[in-house]
Amino acid sequence: MTLAAPDQSLRDEVRAWLAQHWKGLPRPAQAAVGWTSTPELRAWLRQVAQARWAVPRWPQAWFGRGLSDGEARIVEREFAAVGAPGAGQDRANLWANTLLAHGTQALKEELILPLLCHEVGMCLLYSEPGAGSDLAGVRTRAERTGDHFVVNGSKVWTSGAATADYGMLIARTDWNAPKHKGISFFFLPMKQPGVEVRPLRQITDERHFNEVFLTDAIVPAENLLKGEGEGWGVLQTALAYERSVMGEGARGARSGAPESKTEEPLIALAREAGVLGDPLIRQDLAQAIAWRRLNALNTARAKAELAQGASSPVMSLGKLAMSRILHAEARLRTAILGAESLLEGPDHPRAEDANFLTLNAYFTSIGGGTDQIQRNIIGERVLGLPKEPEVDRDIPFRDVKSGKHTSKI
Amino acid sequence: MASLSAEERVALTDAVTRLLADHGAEADVRRSMETERGYDPDLWRRLAEMGVVGLTIDEAWGGVGAGPMELEAVMEAAGAALLCSPLLASGVLAAELLRALGDQDAQARLLPGIAAGTSIATVALTGEAGTWTEDAVSVTAEGDRLSGSASYVLHGQNADVLLAIARTGDGLTVFEVEAKAAGVTVTALPTFDHTLRLARIAFERTPGRRLDGEAWPAARAAMDLALVALAGEQAGGARRCLETTVDYAKDRFQFGRAIGSFQAIKHMAADLLLECESAVSAARRAATRLAEGASDADAAVSLAAFACADAFVRTTADAIQMHGGIAFTWEHPAHLYLRRARADAQLFGTPDAHRERFLEALGA
Repeated sequence: MTLAAPDQSLRDEVRAWLAQHWKGLPRPAQAAVGWTSTPELRAWLRQVAQARWAVPRWPQAWFGRGLSDGEARIVEREFAAVGAPGAGQDRANLWANTLLAHGTQALKEELILPLLCHEVGMCLLYSEPGAGSDLAGVRTRAERTGDHFVVNGSKVWTSGAATADYGMLIARTDWNAPKHKGISFFFLPMKQPGVEVRPLRQITDERHFNEVFLTDAIVPAENLLKGEGEGWGVLQTALAYERSVMGEGARGARSGAPESKTEEPLIALAREAGVLGDPLIRQDLAQAIAWRRLNALNTARAKAELAQGASSPVMSLGKLAMSRILHAEARLRTAILGAESLLEGPDHPRAEDANFLTLNAYFTSIGGGTDQIQRNIIGERVLGLPKEPEVDRDIPFRDVKSGKHTSKI
Repeated sequence: MASLSAEERVALTDAVTRLLADHGAEADVRRSMETERGYDPDLWRRLAEMGVVGLTIDEAWGGVGAGPMELEAVMEAAGAALLCSPLLASGVLAAELLRALGDQDAQARLLPGIAAGTSIATVALTGEAGTWTEDAVSVTAEGDRLSGSASYVLHGQNADVLLAIARTGDGLTVFEVEAKAAGVTVTALPTFDHTLRLARIAFERTPGRRLDGEAWPAARAAMDLALVALAGEQAGGARRCLETTVDYAKDRFQFGRAIGSFQAIKHMAADLLLECESAVSAARRAATRLAEGASDADAAVSLAAFACADAFVRTTADAIQMHGGIAFTWEHPAHLYLRRARADAQLFGTPDAHRERFLEALGA
């Protein structure tokens, strides 16, 4: 690849810096997927941030260099080439980007660098028992008292809550405003008496998520992002970063159809269970494998189209496609096993798998926006179909119905 | 086979789209489908001049010398417009059979006319079973004389030259037969898809010219290219059908609002978008793998065959439901697409058969 002269000198600069400083990290830190936060990793990330390689698209004032996207990609490529973590956080660090975009000077000074160095744990305090698909219907309240806000309510589906230092919280500060306009966005300190974290037992009998109960929890006014009542806009910024990270993950998936030398797991299972000759099973096998391959092909095509600068409708289809794949595969595993799927426990790993996958498929078809919400998004944002009329959009939130009643405050 | 550059491919596809907008609009399609031959000779001539008819035929024989990727791209445009033509029969199936057989004399004799569109060829491949499998061949040859019959022959009634696959003492062999030869009886079949032409062809001690080459592998190669073409047609047709349906859902008001604002309609549209885009991905992937001569081309073609067939049928069927009453009328084009989709899903094997072949290609 040939680069323009300024790009060439940037690349040389990154290379030289990495050659001088990057010595690798001890084994446990270099896990196959992601990075666990060790002291060595944090020390490295601090070096990267202070050398202004963590967020080169950002302004000078905040550890950046004001580089263009194309220039920043050069930095990221050089880091990737030697396997060094820490670059590209101006795209991928949800917390730091949200804070930079909307935080107060004081909060930015306190947290930007620690966030870039993974020195603070974070979690998301968005969903509530009464506000799932309809996130703008949150009822957790934050009331201003002098230089802080007092928060009451409950949040759900929070991972990492037990170890987090801060939670990105949306709470209602104005009950007279319409639903989207009375929400504010905070960095809530998690380690305080008013915050209680309870693990949530999932249908799979696992505990990945928590409920978080907020009882007179305190958040300093300087931890409010943007202004009071402007939280919905901040949330959109945060969600966009979250989606772009998820999108990157999807785009990084296998390019094109897999050409694995090993047998498809579902074929292997059917063979082992002695039903590979069953014509009905064979039809379902072909279809299930096809859906997975089609999704990989769609992702590869979207990636290629995006690289050419065209927008691709295909990117938004991945999650919906994956729901169908996971449910279909689980159904097929069950069909392959027949009565064996009645069983569970360590002596019946095949049944255990089929049953776990059956239940865990809902993680994808409900989590991160249900399939139904996803279809609305595709219909409205990709196909341009009009939205449903919203009966609660322009009335004071205190008059919005929840269940059969209006809000009680 | 060579490939055009991506830019050339786009330019070619755009040119075909423009040609079909001018000469292959819905009214033209309806006019063509009611004629006996089922296509517009004038449009056919234009397609030939543009290089579409001889797209994958070697330049030495007057073709463009392009490959599956270009064919697939052009067929997306053709499918969107419901093009009525013997392209699949002549320029794709027959031409590819001749290429794969490798009989140079036959190529020199037949391909220039096929590429120019002045001669229409087709392949008599399957018997009444209509499975397009080896065991369904039901023409037999004694010496150079053919007997028996073939059915579901694409544009058999319009063909000048028939390439008939026949059983001989030495296995399957391809014979070149003049459509007007003695002992050939061509019976046009009434088709559910009025834009399609099929015929039953009976041979009675008909003289044929034996062609060199391995008949069944060549027939498979011809069907693979035809399946890629068909996949492109299905993907393009499905996409067009969804587009017009979504447009209608934005315009059609009931209960004081556009019907597309109802989730009952919106969710169907979202599901169809997934089907259509998956079909496009599958068709293009199959074309690429076939062009590269990849070892997994078999799997890619089979996958495209059933994914695109199912997507086209589902999209066109749901499109009628989403439109409501207006699409239950003859004058509305929705049924034309459904008819085409149902036809495309049977040619060269059913979706179920392709699923089976896909699984076999994966070693199961």
